[in-house]
Amino acid sequence: MTTAQPSSQVAPALDPRDRGRTPRPAGRGWVGYLFLSPALLLFVVFIAGPFVAAIVLAFFSWDMLTPAKFNGAGNFTAMFHDPLLYKALANTFIFALASVLTHLVGGLLLALGVNRVMNRALAYFVRTAVFFPFVISWAAVALLWKYVLDPTFGIFPYYMGRVGIHAPDWFTDPHWALPAIIGIDFWHTIGFTFVIMLAGLQTVPKELIEAARADGANPRQILWNVTIPMMSPTIFFATVITFIGAFQIFDPAQIITPDGGPDNATTTIVMYLYQKGFQSFQVGYASAVSLLVFLVMMIVTLLQFLGARKWVHQQ
Amino acid sequence: MTTTEATVAGAATARPPRPPRPGRLLVSLLLLVVGLLMIAPLVWLVVESLTNENSAFGLPPNWIPRPFTTENFRSISGLIPFGQMAVNSLVVAVISTVGSMAVSVLAAYAFSRLKFRGRDGIFLCMLSALMVPAQMTVIPVFILMRHLHLIDNLAALWLPALINVFSIFFFRQYFNTIPRELDEAARIDGAGHPWILFRMILPLSGPAVAAMSILAFEASWNNYFGPLIFLSTPSRMTLPIGLVTLQSGQNNGASVVVFAAIAAVTIPVLVVFLIFQRSFVASVASVGIRG
Repeated sequence: MTTAQPSSQVAPALDPRDRGRTPRPAGRGWVGYLFLSPALLLFVVFIAGPFVAAIVLAFFSWDMLTPAKFNGAGNFTAMFHDPLLYKALANTFIFALASVLTHLVGGLLLALGVNRVMNRALAYFVRTAVFFPFVISWAAVALLWKYVLDPTFGIFPYYMGRVGIHAPDWFTDPHWALPAIIGIDFWHTIGFTFVIMLAGLQTVPKELIEAARADGANPRQILWNVTIPMMSPTIFFATVITFIGAFQIFDPAQIITPDGGPDNATTTIVMYLYQKGFQSFQVGYASAVSLLVFLVMMIVTLLQFLGARKWVHQQ
Repeated sequence: MTTTEATVAGAATARPPRPPRPGRLLVSLLLLVVGLLMIAPLVWLVVESLTNENSAFGLPPNWIPRPFTTENFRSISGLIPFGQMAVNSLVVAVISTVGSMAVSVLAAYAFSRLKFRGRDGIFLCMLSALMVPAQMTVIPVFILMRHLHLIDNLAALWLPALINVFSIFFFRQYFNTIPRELDEAARIDGAGHPWILFRMILPLSGPAVAAMSILAFEASWNNYFGPLIFLSTPSRMTLPIGLVTLQSGQNNGASVVVFAAIAAVTIPVLVVFLIFQRSFVASVASVGIRG
């Protein structure tokens, strides 16, 4: 495989040492531009240009039909007084934090467990069963789970009832709609975290564990004092990636609760952006909201670069 | 081999045998239960989609399709143009994957092997675009597509997918690990850049190309946000958006038919996944992209 350690994939991008290893000049400069031109053209048209356009649009009010009007900071002041935006932000943060927590704990436990299983067939079965949902499209997953959780004929409420728990009506109860989405996301995406953790687990040197055991450490001490510190780059990486993915959650919430759920309990920030931009055609306002999403992404990415140096155990 | 010969990231582990402890059995048992719980919804999906409409969705749930029927699958195409949607999905995914691989490989070669003014600046600029969420650029891209008259056209989906900054970055890092002495030798023998890239570097980059292609194909095949915004005519839709239309559209299907459609979308993915599981898992583990 390309790298044993997934955590080394994203961080080294901006490593200044990389620049020192500039290859020798090979031919004239225009050859480079020639090879780069398709990517550069597409980059300008579909990423850089639209990025700038979104920032500009955030200062206008426009409905895509009548001419755009300059609005100054109007969209931003409006955002401050928009209770639904706060609601969407709160939902999104709750979802992202819950997602990070459940994925990290679940992924690590599953990886540790599978790593200990002796029976090859069982290990294969568990790996496949845990990872497969990640490969299915969100559209299929969201529709399937809408039925699985259905209060009248879903299997989940039925089996809950069999063990004596009365299941809520997930998507009409404002308290349970968001947790339901969190649960569905766990089922769909845990395979990803699991694979990352399992790969990270292989990077822990066996000699260290053997040495700790020889020194009389019990399994719990080995886990907390050897395995987890040695895996900290992986855990850190998984945290960042899970948060970034979770913060942009859209598909399941939009498919299951297109109207935002009971009392807007499942309106996420990207759903809100979609509603504003493509349903009520407040293009300027939607662009301002998208700037907010970008800002959060940027802060998390910067934290990743800083944190990768500061907090992670150095091997 | 005492333990799991891990499929993950090609990491094979061999640990010295240890005395079996009761804890180990408990872990195995727990994992078996977790595995069964994970696949239970999928088993239920397949069972109900193969059950006669009048007997489906009974409680306690059926775990065997009785009475068995394939009628539900045949009813799908009466409600949505399923075959056409599958073709659309395939067309978009293939063009996106092949196209973005070609564009990325060329750009990565320029970044890794060629020297030109502004190279590192352009590279950093592209790299920082990884922070820009797709939802931010989608509104201007939508306006652009409207000007190009590409709304409700599959090109609106695959055109923006041709630029994949992450794969450019990934290929560039990979190419940097291939010794430059090979280039020198080839150049002395009179080889040009296209030859070096396509006959030498690319054949040495099999795992990287496989990983990026799988992820690009998957991202396109599963894309819901794009088609939701750009497509409106059923016969021009891709599968994910078609599925949702079937469930919530005007002529929405019976639940068993919706289930049959979900199963028809999922089962081929399962088959492909089981065949290429190793590459699938490796690509995710080596890259760490969350779908």
